[in-house]
Amino acid sequence: MKKYKLPTFLLEVCMFFVCAVFVIPIYYLVVSTFKTQAQIIASPLGLPTSLNLDNYVKALGTMHFFQNFLNSFVITSVAVVLIVVCGSMAAYAIARRKNKFMNFLGIYFLIGFLVPVQTTMLPLFLVMKNLHAINTLPGMIFLHSNGCVFAFFLYRGFIRTLPPELEEAAFMDGAGVFRTFWSIVFPLLTPVTATVVIFNTMWIWNDFLLTYLFLSSTSKATLIMQVYNGMGQYINDWSIMMPVLVLALLPMVIFYLAMQKKIMGGLTAGSIKG
Amino acid sequence: MRFIKRKEFPYLLFVLPALLIYSTITIIPVINTFVYSFTNFDGLSPKFNFIGIANYLKVFTTNNVITSFVNSIEYGLVSPVLVTLLAIPLALLLDSQMKTRNIQRAVFFFPSVISALFLGYIWNFILSPSDYGLINGILLALGRNKLLLLSDPGMAMVLLILVNVWCSTGWHACIYLANIQMIDKSYYEAAEIDGAGGFDRFKTITLPNLAPAMTVSVMLLLTGSLKAFDLPFALTNGGPGYATTMVTQTIITEGINSNRVGFASAMSVLFLLVISVVTIFQVRSMGKREENLS
Repeated sequence: MKKYKLPTFLLEVCMFFVCAVFVIPIYYLVVSTFKTQAQIIASPLGLPTSLNLDNYVKALGTMHFFQNFLNSFVITSVAVVLIVVCGSMAAYAIARRKNKFMNFLGIYFLIGFLVPVQTTMLPLFLVMKNLHAINTLPGMIFLHSNGCVFAFFLYRGFIRTLPPELEEAAFMDGAGVFRTFWSIVFPLLTPVTATVVIFNTMWIWNDFLLTYLFLSSTSKATLIMQVYNGMGQYINDWSIMMPVLVLALLPMVIFYLAMQKKIMGGLTAGSIKG
Repeated sequence: MRFIKRKEFPYLLFVLPALLIYSTITIIPVINTFVYSFTNFDGLSPKFNFIGIANYLKVFTTNNVITSFVNSIEYGLVSPVLVTLLAIPLALLLDSQMKTRNIQRAVFFFPSVISALFLGYIWNFILSPSDYGLINGILLALGRNKLLLLSDPGMAMVLLILVNVWCSTGWHACIYLANIQMIDKSYYEAAEIDGAGGFDRFKTITLPNLAPAMTVSVMLLLTGSLKAFDLPFALTNGGPGYATTMVTQTIITEGINSNRVGFASAMSVLFLLVISVVTIFQVRSMGKREENLS
């Protein structure tokens, strides 16, 4: 460890201003929610003079916050569970069975892995229409569960590093494949599961494109969609939209604060090794 | 079926759910996109005809479609360059002995966990041409004239790219930071003994050793920016005029809002081609740098 020197301190002061570039937009949004329109124009960056919650009361009146939150929560949690279950099981079978069919499946999953949904959304729309899955929560969950392909690759890489002896011992004792996987292999996959859960929670919770195309009905709106709908309705009334944005941001901010170490560990480790 | 042994059966059940989901959501739509791109399908009537490459010819002769391709490519190439140029120095700074480096890292990373749609709206408030906007509010308070900002066709794309850089730099700095921390410290000690200066050490040790992080980071940036939808949609909604309309938005307006599925599918196929060519070229050339490293 080097000693803490003056240049480091000066650097720290400089970095304070760089950080300000990142903090000010969020700060501006939050303080503005406690001000009247006149106050915002008079001193855009000043602290609010009083804790004026009128804007929040108005904002909550325009949205069904808890319904929207619940929709987001149900879609995200069920889809993440599906992704973990389907991704890990497929990875286990393909990593452990060496036959032509399984090898083919490994390549099959690779082909479409990098195809962005932006280029397939029109036929996808028609497929979903035929399945009567548009504007339904199960339809939305089904769409997001496609993340299991990404999970599959992470899991497969990890399973290949696991020694098969433990499973063989279980088979000897008469346990079936299903039971062996869930009681012996799956617990060993916890580090990958953590990464998969964190990545996908963020992606699915924050998704706009798919939700915009496939879940337009307001009663089923997610938090993200509710903000979009509100924007269309109250485009010139930012005293309503700013608090709506702050409220809609809150769940992800809490998630970030709680998971910060894991998020950074997972994102950086995942991206360099992957 | 004789060739499926009883032993293999449970494993087939294991892959079945993922196989069904992936085939329905990715593979069938990809195939359909190719098929529709040669037809006059409108997405509604069951009858449609094959019209050869007419849709593709139309893509190259429709001005606003060409504009959106140019916009996506401009946005998709300029943003990664700027983010990379900022993220590497930022990662080096975050690797120093600063006491506040953990807080700083959390601050820079923060935009990555927020929906791009929200970030677009927040910047929309800040850059708004009305009195409400922070930038114009400050300019007015200083007695200057207001700027058009997002309403200025020339300025809108510049601002959009800058906001994207603001959103992405923190995350990519963290990717580089993780890589920097894995570089063998003895290289630096040896270089110090040889009397190499700070910049020399960066050029000959740090930069080449960052090749693995760079391959991943640039790939994520290229694909992410080329297929961007949320941020441009929230910040400028493609405007003013078609100044910041991205291919993704054009595909949606043509294919879903105007029911020209065949035409929009041709755009999708060409767009998929652009993304694939750019990504393969990038991963290949940067992968070579990684091989030279070892």
